[in-house]
Amino acid sequence: MYTSSLRAPKQGNSPRECEDAHLVLPRCEPDDWLTGPVCAAVADGASESLLAGEWATLLATSATGAAREDEDVLRDGERFAAALVDAGEAWREWLVGYVAAREADDRPIAWYEQPKLDRGPHSTVLAARFAGGPSATTRWDAAALGDSCLFHIRDDRLLRAFPVESSAAFDNSPGLVNAFERDLALLARHVRTASGEAEQGDQVFLCTDALAAWFLHETERGQRPWQVLGEFTPHGDLDGFSAWLERVRAEGAMRNDDVTVVHVDLG
Amino acid sequence: MTYAAEISRANPACIVFLVDQSASMSDPIGGGAPQRKSEVVADAINRLLAELSVKCAKEEGVRDYFHLAAIGYGHTVGSAFTGPLAGRELVPLSQVADRPARVEKRVKKVPDGAGGLVETTTGFPVWVDPVAHGATPMCRALARAEALVSDWVGRHPDCFPPIVLNLTDGESTDGDPTSAAWSVQTHVSADGAALLFNLHVSATNSVPVTFPTSDAALPDSYARTLFGMSSVLPPHMRFYALQQGVAATETTRGFVYNADITSIVQFLDIGTRATDLR
Repeated sequence: MYTSSLRAPKQGNSPRECEDAHLVLPRCEPDDWLTGPVCAAVADGASESLLAGEWATLLATSATGAAREDEDVLRDGERFAAALVDAGEAWREWLVGYVAAREADDRPIAWYEQPKLDRGPHSTVLAARFAGGPSATTRWDAAALGDSCLFHIRDDRLLRAFPVESSAAFDNSPGLVNAFERDLALLARHVRTASGEAEQGDQVFLCTDALAAWFLHETERGQRPWQVLGEFTPHGDLDGFSAWLERVRAEGAMRNDDVTVVHVDLG
Repeated sequence: MTYAAEISRANPACIVFLVDQSASMSDPIGGGAPQRKSEVVADAINRLLAELSVKCAKEEGVRDYFHLAAIGYGHTVGSAFTGPLAGRELVPLSQVADRPARVEKRVKKVPDGAGGLVETTTGFPVWVDPVAHGATPMCRALARAEALVSDWVGRHPDCFPPIVLNLTDGESTDGDPTSAAWSVQTHVSADGAALLFNLHVSATNSVPVTFPTSDAALPDSYARTLFGMSSVLPPHMRFYALQQGVAATETTRGFVYNADITSIVQFLDIGTRATDLR
């Protein structure tokens, strides 16, 4: 399978301010054909959080790593929730270093940052694992908390949307993983899991919410949004993707938000 | 008229606080609380400014999603800021956050993790001091707010509509404020008309009222006048009010009587909300 990804900030923000994150393992170029298991994750840090991008990055990294180490972690809500709690532990360690670095930089935490730092950052997360089976098919497993979505395309139609199935279901209060949340049962209650079989020629897209909402809306009105994304993703065409985003946002067809897509092309 | 415009640094919103600083504000608030009305409104506006700063805080600083003015009215009508911002009217939020007059230590009770409460000291930034001096020129204050709002929508025609929040005991001394209040709400951006909300602090020992749908439960003519002057909550604000337990309907107005109005900050959208799982 081939994998590629694109990530662009909200209009008006710099790339450094983008609070979406993603990771694909093994790391590869878009034209590298991968035969072994591939793990991917996208995460969308909440705008109102402090250090949302850093948390989204850590969450995507932790979820991808957990999926790579244990093929069952995406099949069981409790195991995925445990991986999220582990990510929170890593966050605590990271935060100690961050605060120390700010002090050393003579830029101590300001009064208006402290309440958000104490509360911890929030982010959605979606992780997926693709592994070839004994036949020509590829099994995929996915786990999500929040509204980042996976779309499975076959024969030029949407076969599966997960975990959100309708464009009307998006709002600005999705389920979010808080870095300080240690309640395993609570997290597990909000985790959704799904599995499927992909065939040669199938396409899978992992998208953060604004792009996912557009994708579903386009599908609902009989369009083929996977073809649009497929014009940019295989070549990692960020300039073309950014110009297209600017257009659809200006037309009001997509909410102005950070955008990330990971494309898994089953060849 | 959708009240759905993005609030961003490129398309910021404007909030004007009007603070009653008349002599009558030295009276104690009703309900047996020890505070004077002037202290209640100063605390309310300082809390609102702090909440907005925290809401818009990112690791590089506070983002200028809002520009704020605090206009006092009493002995005179003008900037109510004290400290480094004294004399200034509309100020970008980042400058507000970075330049409080001082940060006081306040004691507050927080959950102790075992079902009880424990006292802790917290920093309380102050930009506006309690003042109680002179008459209550509410009409002039509303006219000043209207001028700021008019200028703002002229310069930001696509902005989320300006919000004017008037904190007062309601006893206008320069005429019936209804007309001046209406004039504020005639200024329109592409996204809707300016909003006027009122916080009424009263010495009357009456039940607090939060975002009512009618003036039936209000205790006096001052409260009823302020209710009538207040804008109906736009749909998305009604949604957030409902989430906070307010029985909001299509006639719910942005009016609060002897109650906390800080929750209004939660009515403002700047992106994905950082909400905990339940």
